[in-house]
Amino acid sequence: MSTLEVEDLTAGYGDARVLHGIGLTVGEGEICAILGPNGAGKTTLLRALSGMIKARGRVRLGGTDLAGRSPDALARQGIAHVPEGRGTFMPLTVEENLRLGAFVRRGRDGVNADIERIHGYFPVLKDRMKQAAGSLSGGEQQMLAIGRALMSRPRLLLLDEPSLGLAPLVTRELFRIVQAINAEEQTTVVVVEQNAHLALGIAQQAHVLETGRIVLSGTAEQIRADEQVAQSYLGYRV
Amino acid sequence: MSETDSAQVKRAPAPPAAPRRPAPAGPLAGRWRWVAIALLLAAACYAPFQLVPFHVFQLTMVLVYAVALLGLNLLVGHAGQISLGHGAFFAVGAYTTAILLDHWDGMPYPVTLPLAAGVAFLLGLAFGVPAMRLRGLYLALVTLAMAIFLAPLLKRFEELTGGSMGLTLAKPAPPAWSGLAPDQWLYFLTLVVAVAAFLLAHSLLRSRVGRALHALRDNEIAAEVMGVRLSSYKTLAFAWSAMFAGAAGCVYTWVIGFVSPDSFTVNLSITMLAGLVVGGLGTLFGPLLGALFVMFVPSISQDINDAAPGVIFGLLIIAVMYVAPTGLAGLAERLIKKIPRKE
Ligand SMILES: Nc1ncnc2c1ncn2[C@@H]1O[C@H](COP(=O)(O)OP(=O)(O)OP(=O)(O)O)[C@@H](O)[C@H]1O
Ligand SMILES: [Mg+2]
Repeated sequence: MSTLEVEDLTAGYGDARVLHGIGLTVGEGEICAILGPNGAGKTTLLRALSGMIKARGRVRLGGTDLAGRSPDALARQGIAHVPEGRGTFMPLTVEENLRLGAFVRRGRDGVNADIERIHGYFPVLKDRMKQAAGSLSGGEQQMLAIGRALMSRPRLLLLDEPSLGLAPLVTRELFRIVQAINAEEQTTVVVVEQNAHLALGIAQQAHVLETGRIVLSGTAEQIRADEQVAQSYLGYRV
Repeated sequence: MSETDSAQVKRAPAPPAAPRRPAPAGPLAGRWRWVAIALLLAAACYAPFQLVPFHVFQLTMVLVYAVALLGLNLLVGHAGQISLGHGAFFAVGAYTTAILLDHWDGMPYPVTLPLAAGVAFLLGLAFGVPAMRLRGLYLALVTLAMAIFLAPLLKRFEELTGGSMGLTLAKPAPPAWSGLAPDQWLYFLTLVVAVAAFLLAHSLLRSRVGRALHALRDNEIAAEVMGVRLSSYKTLAFAWSAMFAGAAGCVYTWVIGFVSPDSFTVNLSITMLAGLVVGGLGTLFGPLLGALFVMFVPSISQDINDAAPGVIFGLLIIAVMYVAPTGLAGLAERLIKKIPRKE
């Protein structure tokens, strides 16, 4: 069971509170999209979930209470975060970056097989294995960041704007891959995305965040059909 | 061949192969790196038979410092921490060895190596736990304090350490079967320790642990999110670096046969850090080049200007950093890259 349950989550930076009592539930193996305008606190929400910033409230993954744990402990609990800005280890090679992704896994079993699997998803990475990750293009780095997160075989995958810097065609491919991973491995996914069309296309449910509060929740279809959302975030009128 | 050639005549010239982005490891990568090391090792085995004893002694000391700098490189170059107190762990290794040899008759000297390294490791662990909660300048200050309070401490426990007089010991003598002169024997002992230390550091860095250290250095937060426990790995890096310093200190005592508080001043710690930065932080050959620096530059400064060797020393550091901001190892890589290569 890797259901994510979040209750009354508050978080911020120093004295500045950004999230005000977030509550949401993502069922096991579901994809949940988080939408909202710039500065709403989407990135902050993912950071709070992966422990990058301190948060208060209750977070449970598969029934285990995770509140207040350090980021490395959360990684061992199966949370993988593809952060805004990718978090690439620039001087390390692509291969080292991928292997770091498997850091929390005990033993080497399957690590090489998983690298092959990542190559299957992102063939460009295969030719660049011995190259410094910093020398990859922005889009390639985004693929590396996602590949690296998958290397941990996460129970919960947090994606912060995976489409950033990717060509539209690559973005669509990427979302197809996320969907495939989600289907094959029952990985629960929370995806923050500017491209609401794509995100709603693969998500079962969605939440709209505004100034640190959830202002709208529903199934992907409901959100897509909502006139107000359509105007504000999807960029068209119904 | 000719068939395809003629078939292509009418076509536009083939575009050049997709531009390859630069490889990460520089020209001294892979096989060539090992060739360079093998040549260096061959030269190192040959040299003591061609040099006068004083120069053999100097080379021995370079190797001693190289072992210490291997440890410092682990901490500063690879884990991205700072230490202005590396000389203190060097001193701990040296004194552990001296005290063991002085107080236990018939203590075989090879035994002192693991003991000195072990004591330094444990001390590094003990200091590392609180020290690694600090960062940057705060950490620099605490490690500097460590280097400063060592000398008074050594003088205080006179019975054990010989106070300011220090301890004088017999140097390991060459066994008859070796047919070596005393200076040559000490040199080869040191060389063996240095090679072992090099291999140990190398395999450490290539392991999962090494990747974790690099990740911490490059992006602490991202490393944590990958599951790297920050405090443990920083503390371990500190302890390992102390262990190498301790081993180097032990060999120092073998080679010099004398320890006193004045041999391990704050200056030594600072010179080591300067030497490593000049040699090349985080590089394979940085510690060796840095050791040459630690060994020779202070005395060269003395020769150039007897009145103010510190000024010359400082100016030399500035000059090197100006010409080679990534250290001498980085400079060497740049020069090798300039050599045109055949396809
Ligand atoms: N490191 C930080 N330190 C202080 N304040 C921050 C930090 N990061 C974000 N904030 C603040 O928190 C608020 C929410 O930021 P956040 O990055 O979570 O927004 P977002 O929804 O991800 O926006 P975007 O769509 O632009 O990425 C903003 O007001 C921002 O100024
Ligand atoms: Mg954001």
